[in-house]
Amino acid sequence: MPHRPDFWGIEPEWMRYFIYGILTLALLVMLIRTFYQARLWWKVGQPEKRFDQPFKRIGRMLNQVFVQQRILSQPYAGIMHALMAWSFFILFLGTPIGIVNAYVFPGFLKGQIFLIFKLIMDLCVIVFLIGAGMAAYRRIVIRPKKLTLERRFGFTLVLLTLIILTGPSIEGARLAVLSIEENITYGSWMPVGWAIAQLFLNSGSTVDTVHLWHTIFYYSHVGLVITLFLTLPVGTMIHVITTPLNVFFSKLQPMGQLSAVQEDSAHNLILADRLKNLTWKQLMDGDACTECGRCQEVCPAYAVGLELNPKKLVLNIRDALHRDGALIIQGTEPSIPLVGGTVTTNVLWECTTCGACIKECPAFVDHISDIVSMRRHLVNEGEVDDMLQTSLANLGRYGNSFGKSGRMRAGWAKELEFEIKDATKEPVEYLWFVGDYASFSPTLTETTIKTAKVLRSAGVDFGILYDTERNAGNDVRRVGEEGLFEVLVEQNSKALQKADFKAIVTTDPHTYNTLKNEYPEEVINGRPILHYSELLDQLIASGKLKFNKKLDLKVTYHDPCYLARYNGVYDAPRRVIHATGCELIEMPRNREHGFCCGAGGGRIYLDEGTMPERPSENRIREGVTLKDVSTFVVACPKDISMFQDAVKTTSLEDKLNVKDLIELVYEAL
Amino acid sequence: MKIVIPIQLVPDRVEEIVINKEKDGFDLEEIAWILNEFDDHAVEQGIILKEKTGVEVVVVAAGGEKSDEALFTAAAKGADRLIRVNVDFSTEKVNNHALAKIFQTIIMEEKPDLILTGVSNHNGFDGAIGALLAEYLGMPYIGYISGVDIEGMSALVLKDYPGGIKAKMEVALPAVLGISSSEKPPRYVPISKVRQAMKTGSVQEKDGDIDLAGGLIIDRMYEPEVSGRAEILSGSLKDIADRIAEIVKSQGLI
Repeated sequence: MPHRPDFWGIEPEWMRYFIYGILTLALLVMLIRTFYQARLWWKVGQPEKRFDQPFKRIGRMLNQVFVQQRILSQPYAGIMHALMAWSFFILFLGTPIGIVNAYVFPGFLKGQIFLIFKLIMDLCVIVFLIGAGMAAYRRIVIRPKKLTLERRFGFTLVLLTLIILTGPSIEGARLAVLSIEENITYGSWMPVGWAIAQLFLNSGSTVDTVHLWHTIFYYSHVGLVITLFLTLPVGTMIHVITTPLNVFFSKLQPMGQLSAVQEDSAHNLILADRLKNLTWKQLMDGDACTECGRCQEVCPAYAVGLELNPKKLVLNIRDALHRDGALIIQGTEPSIPLVGGTVTTNVLWECTTCGACIKECPAFVDHISDIVSMRRHLVNEGEVDDMLQTSLANLGRYGNSFGKSGRMRAGWAKELEFEIKDATKEPVEYLWFVGDYASFSPTLTETTIKTAKVLRSAGVDFGILYDTERNAGNDVRRVGEEGLFEVLVEQNSKALQKADFKAIVTTDPHTYNTLKNEYPEEVINGRPILHYSELLDQLIASGKLKFNKKLDLKVTYHDPCYLARYNGVYDAPRRVIHATGCELIEMPRNREHGFCCGAGGGRIYLDEGTMPERPSENRIREGVTLKDVSTFVVACPKDISMFQDAVKTTSLEDKLNVKDLIELVYEAL
Repeated sequence: MKIVIPIQLVPDRVEEIVINKEKDGFDLEEIAWILNEFDDHAVEQGIILKEKTGVEVVVVAAGGEKSDEALFTAAAKGADRLIRVNVDFSTEKVNNHALAKIFQTIIMEEKPDLILTGVSNHNGFDGAIGALLAEYLGMPYIGYISGVDIEGMSALVLKDYPGGIKAKMEVALPAVLGISSSEKPPRYVPISKVRQAMKTGSVQEKDGDIDLAGGLIIDRMYEPEVSGRAEILSGSLKDIADRIAEIVKSQGLI
C-alpha cells in the first residue's frame, strides 16, 4: 500500500534528528533576526493604538493574505503572485503534515489519502513553476518601470524555485528506486516526481546512483530551506511576515479621517521632524513594502515628472530606519535628518493627497499619513512658501483662502431673484455648506447660482450659513496646519449648532470629506452629509427633479478624489449624467483609478512651481482620446478651475468643454 | 541689550471702512482691527536680532484686548515679554501723537537700547509714529529701514531710498528705527503655537490716557469718488477687434 515514508533513504537514523535540529536552529535564527529588525518599529517609533477591533483586522488580513484581493486587482502581477503564493503555502504545509504523519497520527497518510495528498503537492509544484515563469518573464523581458530591478529579487525567485524543484526531485529519485525494487503502480499520482523518476529509469542508472542523487537532492533541499530561513529577515521574503502584519495593523477609520497630532506626557506636540517621531506603524510600513511600484504607477506627481515617488518615499524611510535605527535607540541623533534629508521638502509639498497610492498598495502602506505628519512639522517651523503662508493667514483671519471679507461670503446670492434662507435663523431641511471656491472664486459663482436655482426648482427646502460659514478645513488639515484646522472646525461647529437642519449638502468633495469623516459627532448628530450629486440622484429617483430636455451629448466624467476614492461615491453622479440624456463614455482611468486634477491636499494654496506637465493637463489629454466626446464633466468646484485652465494651456479648448454636473442638470431642466 | 517694539492695530482694509455720521472720522464700531503690516515687520526684525545676538525683546501693543492675538503671535515667534496698553480704539479716537506719548512712558520705564516700530501706519494720518516717539524720547530716528545689525553700542542699518537705492548707516544707540521691511519676510506662526503662547504666556497690562494734542484735526472725510468705469467689450471677435482699433485710434496711439 502506498504510504509516506519518513526520511526515506536518509541514514544513519540520528541524521533525522540532526536535520530537525539544524532546521529548528535556522528557524530560530530567522525569528531572532526578524525580531531584531522589527524591534526598531517600537523602540524608535512613537506609540499608536492599532489593536482595536481584532476580528475585523484578522478578517482584513485573511482576505489580503490568502484571498489576495488587492494583489489580484492587477491581472498579470496578481495571478503571478497568487500562483506562487498559494502553491508555496500549500507546499510549505507539506512538511508539518509530514511531521503529523510521523509523530502525531502515525501513518495516516496512506493509500488513497496519501495519493491525493501527493497529487495536490505535485500540482502545486506545476502551479508554482507557472507563476515563477511569469515572474522571470516579467523581470527579464517586460521589465516594468515601476519594479525594483535588483538582484536580491532575482535571488529570491531562484531560491524559491530551487526549493520547489528539489522537492519533486527527491520524490522522483525515490520513485525510481521503488519502481526498480517494488515495481510500484501509483506513480502517475505524482506527475512531477514520476516524470523525474522516468528520467532516472531511462538513463539506466543503477539503484546506487539514484540513491546518491536522492541524497544530493535531499540535502540540497534542506540546505536551500536553511538559506531561505537565514536570509529571509534581510531579504525580499521578509514581506511574508511584515506585510500580513501591516495589513492587520492597517487603519480601520475611514480613509478620509486623519489622526490628530499626538502629544507627549508633557503636552508637547509630537511632530514628525525625525524618525523617532514617526509612529511604529509608520515605520512598519517601510518593512512591509514589497517594492511592487503600484503606488508609483498611479501617483499624479510622479506621472508628471515631479520629484515625489511614493514608493521611494516609503523605502527611503525604511532605509534610514535600517541605517540609523540602532543609533537612535542608543540616543544618538542620526547625521541625516528625516525632513530635508531622507525626505526632501519638495517631495512633501508635491503630494496632492489624492489617495491613489493608498488604494493601490497591496501591503496597505499609508503614504499620506507620513506626508501629512512631516508637513505638520514644516508648518510648525514656519517653513511654508509665500503663497501658502498668505493662504493660511487669510484662512485664519477671514475663514477663506481668498483673503476676502467673511461678510462677502454669500455675495453671489445677491444675483438670485429669490432669497436663500439663513439656516442659522430659520429651520431648513438641507443645509448647503457652500465652501470657499464656490462662494468666492469669480469664475465659479455662476455655477453656484445655477446650483441654487436647480435646488429651488426641485422644491428643496434649503438654507446656507451666510457669513458664519468658514472654510471647512479639509485641505488646511492636509497641508499640515492642524491648529488652524481645529479653529475652523470650532467656528463651523458653532454655526452648525446654531442652525436647524436635517442634512448637509455640499458641492465640494473636500468639504464633504471632512464634514463626513472628521467633524465632531456632537455637531453632525448622525445627520446625513450629501454631495450634491447624491442629492440630485435622490431627487431624480423620487421624481422631484424632472427634465424637459434630453441633452444628447457624449460626455466623460472625472471622479473627484475626495468623492470617489475617498468616500466611494461613484454611481450617483453617473446616474445624474444619464438622467440628463447624456451618453457617458468612461476615461481609461475611472472610478477608484481616477487621476487627480492636482489641486488636492492643499496644493491649490501652494505655488505650483514648474513641472513638465500639470496633472490636470495629463487628465485633459486622456479625455480627448475618447472618440466624439465633447464635454468633460466634473463634480467639484476646484475641478472647474483646474480643468478650464488645463484645456486652455493644452490648447484643447475646441475639443473639450469643461462643465460642472450642475450645468448639465440646469440645461436639461 | 534690550529692544522694545511698539505695535498698534489699524483698520483692516479687507473689510469695508465706513465714515461716521459726523463725517470727521471712521465709524469705529464697524472697523475690524488688524496688526499694522509694518509693525509685523518690526516684530520680525526684532526676533531676527534676538536670534542673532540674544537681545531681550519686549513687545508693547496699544489697542486693548484686541491686540492680544498680535502679542501672542509675537510671543510664539520668540518675544520675551508682552505689554498691553488698555486703550480701546473702537470707542476712542486715537492719533500717532497720542500713541507716541503712551509708548514714551513705557519706554522710559523699560530703558531699552533700541526701539523698532513700523515706519508708517494708516491710523492717525499725523506723521510717522517713530519720528514722534524719537522726538519725545530725545533719540535719533531713521525710517525706511530694511535691515538692522547691532555692533557694540551702535546699530548698522540699511535704509531704503526710492528707486531701489540702499544706504548703510551707523546710528548710536539708543535710537528709534522705523522698519519698512524685515530682513526676511515675517514668518508663519502656526495656530497651535499661538494658542500655546496664550495658555502659558502672560501679558503685563498698563493703563494709558489718550492725549490727541498736536495731531491733526479732521474737518471732513470723503468717500472715494467713483471715476470712469471699465468698458467691457462684447460681441463677435470681429466687433471686439474693430472696437479696440477704434479706441486705439481715438486715443491717438497710432
